[in-house]
Amino acid sequence: MHTNESPTLVGFAHPSDVVFEAFVDTAASRQGRPSNGEGTGDAPRTSTSANMCIRILADDTLASRMALDRSIEQLRNVASLDGIVSPVIGMPDMHEGYGFPIGGVAATPYPGGIISPGAIGFDINCGVRLLASSLSHRDVSNVESLLHECMRSIPTGYGRSGRLTIDSAQLDRILEGGAREIVRGLGLGLADDLDVLESGGCMHNASSSAVSTRAKERGCDQLGTLGGGNHFLEIQRVQTIFDSESARVMGLFEGQVTVLIHTGSRGLGHQVCTDYVQTMDAALAKYGLHVPDRQLAFAPLWSPEGQSYFAAMNAAANFAFANRQVLTHRVRQVFASRTASAPLRVVYDVAHNIAKIETHEGRELCVYRKGATRAFGANHTELPVRYASIGQPVLIPGSMGTSSFVLVGLGASSLAFASACHGAGRAMSRGASKRLVRGSDLRRSLEARGIAVRCPSNAELAEEAPAAYKDVERVVDVVERAGLARKVARLVPLGVLKG
Amino acid sequence: MACSMRDGVTSPMQRPPDKVTVTSGRSYRLIDHPSEVEVHIEALELASLFEQAALALAAISAEDSADVATQPPEPIALHAADGEALLVQWLNELIFRSEVNKCVYGDIHVHHASEHELRATIAGHCPRAPKTSVKAATWHGLTVTRNHGRCAATFVLDV
Repeated sequence: MHTNESPTLVGFAHPSDVVFEAFVDTAASRQGRPSNGEGTGDAPRTSTSANMCIRILADDTLASRMALDRSIEQLRNVASLDGIVSPVIGMPDMHEGYGFPIGGVAATPYPGGIISPGAIGFDINCGVRLLASSLSHRDVSNVESLLHECMRSIPTGYGRSGRLTIDSAQLDRILEGGAREIVRGLGLGLADDLDVLESGGCMHNASSSAVSTRAKERGCDQLGTLGGGNHFLEIQRVQTIFDSESARVMGLFEGQVTVLIHTGSRGLGHQVCTDYVQTMDAALAKYGLHVPDRQLAFAPLWSPEGQSYFAAMNAAANFAFANRQVLTHRVRQVFASRTASAPLRVVYDVAHNIAKIETHEGRELCVYRKGATRAFGANHTELPVRYASIGQPVLIPGSMGTSSFVLVGLGASSLAFASACHGAGRAMSRGASKRLVRGSDLRRSLEARGIAVRCPSNAELAEEAPAAYKDVERVVDVVERAGLARKVARLVPLGVLKG
Repeated sequence: MACSMRDGVTSPMQRPPDKVTVTSGRSYRLIDHPSEVEVHIEALELASLFEQAALALAAISAEDSADVATQPPEPIALHAADGEALLVQWLNELIFRSEVNKCVYGDIHVHHASEHELRATIAGHCPRAPKTSVKAATWHGLTVTRNHGRCAATFVLDV
């Protein structure tokens, strides 16, 4: 990661050696455009610091890989937006995305700051939910059969419809009630489930009326579906316990069979983002704002456009919580019919594409995490009672066939707005992965290691090959060394249902 | 350790074309992107450029995107502030209709395209071999240019 161009990221005075910073003069990138308050409308009067800190959490290997794509340049573009506070942060799994890098964290004052749909992305509240069985893997000899039944119950891939039929009134209630509406309204789930979901599985400030008819049309038949791309459902076993006390509180034990679900708000969330990026793009001129990348189009948080998007984003987030709740119900049914497990218990559910109002260092902020996980420390007021003593569970899925991790947050507010990574992070394009790996070979290789695989297309399988991702062990190690979160358990796959 | 951040807009990452497809009048390049799919198109006129963009989207979405359309033709009329916005709107219109109608649109006729307006007729079929789920067309790295009688566009799809 050495070039002769400036600015330069340098090691930061931090107990670990995995924090790098650069201070960039964002005023330079604002040249030729009006500063706050000089536009044709009322621009946000928030942070106008020209000297913004870009903070990267990575070891040398991960930092060098980041330098190979445009992720740091994208982080700098984010830093240049009027209203973003310093620092903007790249997690160890950061890689190039569109507009905002995947694995990026940024914040803006609340309520005086800004909001950008591109800072959250199209898959609003893409997230991960961990379910725990009461079984040891030695008691489960039918992983193939469990996976097969999961595949029959859960539609995967492109534009697939779910088995749940809801009318428009029910959809509106779900958009405003999230997982709570699925459990209490539709009876799909246990009351206890809601106690251990981030935000209780329901974002407040959600309004179904801020969600377009198109978005509702796109998502109305997709509850209980996994979707495509990197979404998956994995049957796993707990391989290693690192922190026995936290594992005890979470009900995790070595050898235990668990299920990890990774999906989001499906077409509904995609359309919400599509609609509002267009809205924000049109609003730039109204507020006299400029962006280095139109995908980062934004508006003042308090503006009609900002408020409407915030309400729609929260509604889409609720749809995602609801989707993972329906999937939980489906997997529970499968396990109930084919194993002797007690009902699968929800360990936790995290969002990793979302904006949330939080207090850090005494400041009320709107924190954007795009491919990053909230990681509150012990005794935070927003934690479930069950986890108050250990900190927020942080669920980090690995790439297909590799380990996933459970950690607990350490509440690193000043370093990273109490955030951690969200996965391994891509290291290779989908095209390059397909050129390098044959899907059929990968399938055989996984099966030879005792990992059952269900994926309709070998080409799609190759796109998500482990070689296309960074080493999740290294990424999680940096998270721990930086003091963002502490490792609790390593989970390894027994079977993968790829979306 | 010190490591540098690039100041310019060009990435040092090598991005070889993933695939060049030139069959019976269809031409577009899929370019490697670390997480998404980038598409580059060149054409003689805007209408053709928009047709090619739609065909690229269809080819990404399904192996059998070129199959004969079985659904009735659908007219589309769009207006936008500029060429880039029009291209994003066009692609997102197709993505929306594909998902809601459960089909891939491989039969594309753009009757008129300007910087601000597009009129087209599209027809699709239910794919037997669906491939990549496309969430949206992004505005990132988006360009639509016209120089010396040729048009070009680059866009990134979130997949």
